[in-house]
Amino acid sequence: MRQLTGIVHVVDDDASFRTAVERRLKKAGYQVLTYPSAQQLLDLLPEGNEPGCILLDVRLPGLSGPELQERLGELGSLMPIVFLTGHADIQTTVRAIKAGAEDFLTKPVSSEDLLHAVERALAHQEVVLGQRHRMDSIRSHIAKLTPRERQVFDLIVRGKINKQIAHELGTTERTVKAHRHQVMEKAGVHSLAELVSIAERLGLLPESPEPDDRG
Amino acid sequence: MIRFIRARELIVLLAVTLTPACLSAQELRPRSILVLDQSDLRGPFYYQVFSGLRAVVAADTREHTTLYTENLDLSRFEGPAHEDSLQRYLEEKYRDRRIGVIVTVGAAALELVLRWRPQTWPGIPIVFAMVDEIDHARLKLPPDVTGEIVKLGLADTIAAARAVVPGLKTIVFVGDPWDRQVIFRNWDDEIPTAANGLNVVEITGLTMAETRKKVAELPDHSAIIYSAMYSDGEGTFYPPATALALIAEKANRPIIIGAETFLAAGGIGGFVLVPDLIGADAARLALRILDGEAPANIAPATGGVRPIFNWGQMQRWQVSESSLPAGSEIRFREPTFWDKYRWQSVTAFFIVLLQAGLIAILLYERKLRHHAEFESRHRMSELAHVNRSATAGELSSSIAHELNQPLGAILTNTETAELILSGPSPDLGEVREILADIRRDDLRANEVIRRLRSFMKRTTFETRDIDLNQLMREVFDFLAMQASGRNVSLYLKACPEALRVKGDPIQLQQVMINLIVNSMDAMAAIPYGRTVIGRAEMSGGKSAIISIADSGPGIPEDKIAEVFDPFFTTKEQGMGIGLSIARTIILAHRGCIWAENDAEGGAVFHVSLPLSAD
Repeated sequence: MRQLTGIVHVVDDDASFRTAVERRLKKAGYQVLTYPSAQQLLDLLPEGNEPGCILLDVRLPGLSGPELQERLGELGSLMPIVFLTGHADIQTTVRAIKAGAEDFLTKPVSSEDLLHAVERALAHQEVVLGQRHRMDSIRSHIAKLTPRERQVFDLIVRGKINKQIAHELGTTERTVKAHRHQVMEKAGVHSLAELVSIAERLGLLPESPEPDDRG
Repeated sequence: MIRFIRARELIVLLAVTLTPACLSAQELRPRSILVLDQSDLRGPFYYQVFSGLRAVVAADTREHTTLYTENLDLSRFEGPAHEDSLQRYLEEKYRDRRIGVIVTVGAAALELVLRWRPQTWPGIPIVFAMVDEIDHARLKLPPDVTGEIVKLGLADTIAAARAVVPGLKTIVFVGDPWDRQVIFRNWDDEIPTAANGLNVVEITGLTMAETRKKVAELPDHSAIIYSAMYSDGEGTFYPPATALALIAEKANRPIIIGAETFLAAGGIGGFVLVPDLIGADAARLALRILDGEAPANIAPATGGVRPIFNWGQMQRWQVSESSLPAGSEIRFREPTFWDKYRWQSVTAFFIVLLQAGLIAILLYERKLRHHAEFESRHRMSELAHVNRSATAGELSSSIAHELNQPLGAILTNTETAELILSGPSPDLGEVREILADIRRDDLRANEVIRRLRSFMKRTTFETRDIDLNQLMREVFDFLAMQASGRNVSLYLKACPEALRVKGDPIQLQQVMINLIVNSMDAMAAIPYGRTVIGRAEMSGGKSAIISIADSGPGIPEDKIAEVFDPFFTTKEQGMGIGLSIARTIILAHRGCIWAENDAEGGAVFHVSLPLSAD
């Protein structure tokens, strides 16, 4: 099992459970931070983009587990949440999953299940973080496009051929080709398909295809 | 030859033989009786004789019989002069009256009439009464004189005396001098024979005063035999019964008497003359003669005397019934209580019966009431138990949660310890730490279960000493989980002094839990700021007041009185018995529970309980 980096944040108001879990996770090689309440987590944790996962009880004093989940979602946190509860009712479980919880475990929980869940959560986060990271970098690349290049980019991803683009922009095909090349380079892609994919992921594509206006 | 008896002779023969019968057939006796009493019919004794006689005569309804009576008063007046004047008086009086039968009462009267009859009442039969054996023997009566002989022997009297005084040694005769006695004069002659072996004392012929003095000083084993006293020797005359009463007042020994009329006056009894019997018997004889029977055919019978005794005197002299002569009659038995107070007894009995019945009914009612109380308390306990189950059901998620915390910690800790121990050089110190944590959590879980079980137990009402502060703390601890899960803040303000009450801790806890859970339910619709504040205070040194206030919407004013009613609920899933059970429990603890709305919104429930005396 590849040891993933990342801090496990344990939020539970029961001191003995907190201690027991901390002990176990540390033995497994993880870094652990514990919080007796959800509010404390919010206070102490920065944006939550660092690698890590949260072990969260449902019933907490003050802010409850699901409420914390909501809050973190609002804040845009990508930290996966594994719920750990002493009393599972279906409603709460379903709501938590729908709201994006990584997993939902019931106490008492065996170390195996616990560690697997932490594993998966951290792995998932890695993937997600990786994706995000890449997205961010692409976005920054696209931001570097000149206005003209941007226009070309917009039309390329709509499936327009060079000739059409040249016509629309009132420039020559050659210029368009040159811009197209620049765009591809800046975006760091090698094919049109990739470019379209990026555009789509960045949400730059309109929903419905525009009517094909041929000149 | 017989045939040759002449008719004339036959007629004469017939006339001779049949004459008496003819005479009686033709000339029936006049239906009238003349009663000659030797004493005075107005005295109690002779009056009774005459009553008996008159009753029998009156009962004969076939024919009316005329009764004439004359008192000869021979006991008070005596001497030939008196007798002669009597004879003249009677002759004159009855000259024109036809008498059928003469009845003489007393031997003296009989003697006189026998003497006077040939001149005054020739041929008229005589019926005698009150003549004793001795006189009868002495008088040699003609055939047309018959009657009833009274057995007045001294021997019988002394026998009676012996019956009354066992070990009799002395007999004391009290009365007028023997020669003045009309009835009992023959006792004098009988003394030597009848009183053989006994001391004989005679207190006769003395004045009443002297007699009374003497009878007060008589020796033991003696008995007084009273004949009759008619005068006190100083000029006063009274009936012998009255004299007896005076004597009996002073006598220190029992008095044997000879006449029934003396029984009430103070005599203990004896073979007594029964006057109305004597009179009745004489009347019957007289009527038989008037109806045509020949006196010569009627042999004198004995009778008129019975052994009769006085109960009161028997008690006084401690004479038992069994020592009396056979066939004795006992008079004046004290009416028993029953006799005396018959209707009172019956009434009292029925009243007592009624009361007893009432008491029985009341006791039965009491038993029923106890049973009902027990039943209702039992039902209340059951219902409280149901409520607790329901509450426990509602709280089950909290309970599960509370248990799973320690269990989860235990599991994880165990696995950690295993991991450590499976390593190359286990850190036993850490293992020890872990084991200590495990133990603590195990006890924690145990406590949760214990509390739950004791809450869920089907218990009967127990009375214990409880500190309400502590009870409230436990309740708030118990509900902390639930409250935090529902986002309710619980605050408890305990009383600085101990609030000691007597009651059932489980049931009181149940009340508080019900109130707090109710409050939490009431605030379910409020988005934030849900608080339940519990307060425990002392009021006036006599009672404790617990208040549970919430920040909910409060109770609608028109429903404030109803909230404690059974099955009142505003919750969809509510059973409505929580508050009603709470009220029943508090009432059983002799406390009060009431609700009101707080000025700042929210409802407040107050419970007041009497503090225990110590």
